[in-house]
Amino acid sequence: MKKVLLLKFGELFLKGKNRNEFKKLLKHNIMKKLSGLSFRLGEEQGRLFVCDFDENQTDEFVERLQSVFGLIALASATEIDTGLEEIKGFVSKIDFSDTKTFKVDVKRADKSFSVLSNDLEKLLGGIVLDNNPNLKVDLYTPERVLNVEIRTNQKTYIYDKLLPCAGGLPLGSAGRGLLLLSGGIDSPVAGYLVSKRGLEIEAVHFHSYPYTSVQAKEKVIELAKLISRYCGKIKLHIVSFTQIQEQIHKNCDADYMITIMRRIMMRIAERLCKKNGLGAIVTGESLGQVASQTMQSMNVTNSVVSIPVFRPVLCFDKEEIMNVARKIKTYDTSILPYEDCCTVFLPKNPVIKPTIKRAEFLEKKLDVDFLVECAIDNEEILEIDEY
Amino acid sequence: MIFLDNAGTTKMFEECVDIHKKFSCKEFFNPSALSTESLNCEKLILEAEKYILKRLDAPEGNILFTGCATESNNLAIKGSLRSGKYEYVFSAGEHPSVFNVAKKLEADGYIVHIVPLANDGRVDLQKLESVLNQNTRLISIMHVSNETGAINDLEKISKLKEKFCPKAILHVDGVQGFMKIPFSMRKTAIDLYSFSGHKIHGPKGIAGLYVKNKNALKQIFEGGGQQFGLRSGTENVSGIMQLKKAVELLDEKKNFEHVSKLKELFNKNLSIYNGIKILNFDGSPYIESVIFSGVKGETMLHALDSEGVIVGLGSACSSKKAGNRILEELKVAHDDIVSSVRISFNAFQTEDEILSACEIIGRVYKDIKERVS
Repeated sequence: MKKVLLLKFGELFLKGKNRNEFKKLLKHNIMKKLSGLSFRLGEEQGRLFVCDFDENQTDEFVERLQSVFGLIALASATEIDTGLEEIKGFVSKIDFSDTKTFKVDVKRADKSFSVLSNDLEKLLGGIVLDNNPNLKVDLYTPERVLNVEIRTNQKTYIYDKLLPCAGGLPLGSAGRGLLLLSGGIDSPVAGYLVSKRGLEIEAVHFHSYPYTSVQAKEKVIELAKLISRYCGKIKLHIVSFTQIQEQIHKNCDADYMITIMRRIMMRIAERLCKKNGLGAIVTGESLGQVASQTMQSMNVTNSVVSIPVFRPVLCFDKEEIMNVARKIKTYDTSILPYEDCCTVFLPKNPVIKPTIKRAEFLEKKLDVDFLVECAIDNEEILEIDEY
Repeated sequence: MIFLDNAGTTKMFEECVDIHKKFSCKEFFNPSALSTESLNCEKLILEAEKYILKRLDAPEGNILFTGCATESNNLAIKGSLRSGKYEYVFSAGEHPSVFNVAKKLEADGYIVHIVPLANDGRVDLQKLESVLNQNTRLISIMHVSNETGAINDLEKISKLKEKFCPKAILHVDGVQGFMKIPFSMRKTAIDLYSFSGHKIHGPKGIAGLYVKNKNALKQIFEGGGQQFGLRSGTENVSGIMQLKKAVELLDEKKNFEHVSKLKELFNKNLSIYNGIKILNFDGSPYIESVIFSGVKGETMLHALDSEGVIVGLGSACSSKKAGNRILEELKVAHDDIVSSVRISFNAFQTEDEILSACEIIGRVYKDIKERVS
């Protein structure tokens, strides 16, 4: 009899012929996430489980596994040898004193086991009821489900509840992209969401010292650390935007300030993508949230790049984004009151429906290529280790 | 590095480090215990108390040693609360450690009067007079504004108290005045006076509250009964001895003259730059607000930081919030508030240091202004 952690994966089952590739990546990610801990990752009939670990560290294992994308749930189970008497003996010792209703759920992967699932459920339910006269069976909304899985490795796994995991697809299965990381609430959430769909990320942050503070940059580093729990190791590109903002401020119309800023940010991002082998830009834009995030604005900023731009929170309300931010624990850091470079030189009336023609006309007053070049040449790179 | 944020904190005297070592590793005893060594510590605390009373020119009273001026202010105000139809009077210029207590009292149902400031940055004495009456229980007004440097006339305020509410308790937050502004407790009717160690080149984590009549104050938390039960907790012997040392090393009269000259020099050399305005409240030479027209105060702060000049942004406690309560109270224009930084000197700075600070500030301002206009 020993404790194991049963791991359940979600969408991987839909993957048909590619399933093994996905599973290999998932196993690799699990091994990485649990590095430093002593354990064995077992596999039986398509089911992964963590075993041979120090039971005192169960919480640590669970916490780490809950942030692995590709896992949908996990259960802390007891493994016993398969055998009717062994199962009956174990079930009769389970404490139900705090429970009012229950049911037994048997899965018989080992079809050679002599008792059918339905019969075994009744049999085990009877034992539990005999030992706990006040307990009632409820097949639809039981307070507690006693899961019994009889596997083909001559072992049976018994567990109570499934703990939710992060879901999604294994990190890396969708390729690599570049996240535009500001100090706000939306962009860390965007990073988390694309990582959940398997995209590994690097991040770029634009700062405008001395118009923004050192703390604003530290805040972004902290946010990158926080999302690295899910997104893995992050290479963070810190790019100075000071000179670019000053040039735009001096040469372009105030209402187009943000439009042109964002177009230059996109150009820098695309250049960084090409330099670092990244296939997409990821932003925290949400349709209509601010002037720079209208359909027309996105069109004008998007038109300067040719690689895909992913906007995972496009259709989220602010409240929905905030809820994810709270869940992934970036919210408290995001709301720290340090300005990011978007709030410097803020025009009173930014254009809501900019046009590409006008933006291109205004940009003629700038040496855009030179500004982009300078910004990239002077970037600072930080390697953020997985949290 | 030129440090011009001395109202935020000050560099500690090196002499204090030796004292810290002595009272942490050698004479580390609990002053409330019964050993001979402990008794000696207790005596030293009493000597420190007497010395500080003398330097305040206070003929009577005690010093309670606390952990910070915020604690001293809280103890002074909350320890003076009484049930009944009493009224509590504060100035609009108070530091958050007083002002927010006042707001809390108001929310809790106490009768609270916030007296506005006059144009010179001091509490408006006519308006103060109009709210004082026989029900006034406490008047809490700061000695020197931590934002503008304006010095309140404590003698006049004392007279108003004696005339309109002689039984009221007069508390003064003296953090920016203590050992900086020549002052005599004897000439006032102050009952409680808060001060802090780290604003006068002493260590952080030690502060004090002068208490004229300890029977008029109540403790705000329970414990082992140290310091007459008014501030339970083992006394910070090392901190107290370092605070005493810092006071010993300061000559407020001489320093006042020196810093006045520094301020004059600073203002003269800065006024040659177009767009730089000094908000002159004719108060403490140690503190003033400077406005850099067309540039945000925070931008100036960062730009100066990278040039090795450290300045403050209003009160450190309020710099993270938008606006500046005190400057708004004084009807300074919104754009000027956004463009303001706080400059504060210390007594050990030299004229050369001030001149190079002015040169750097002027250059950085011209550069940034050119870049943002």
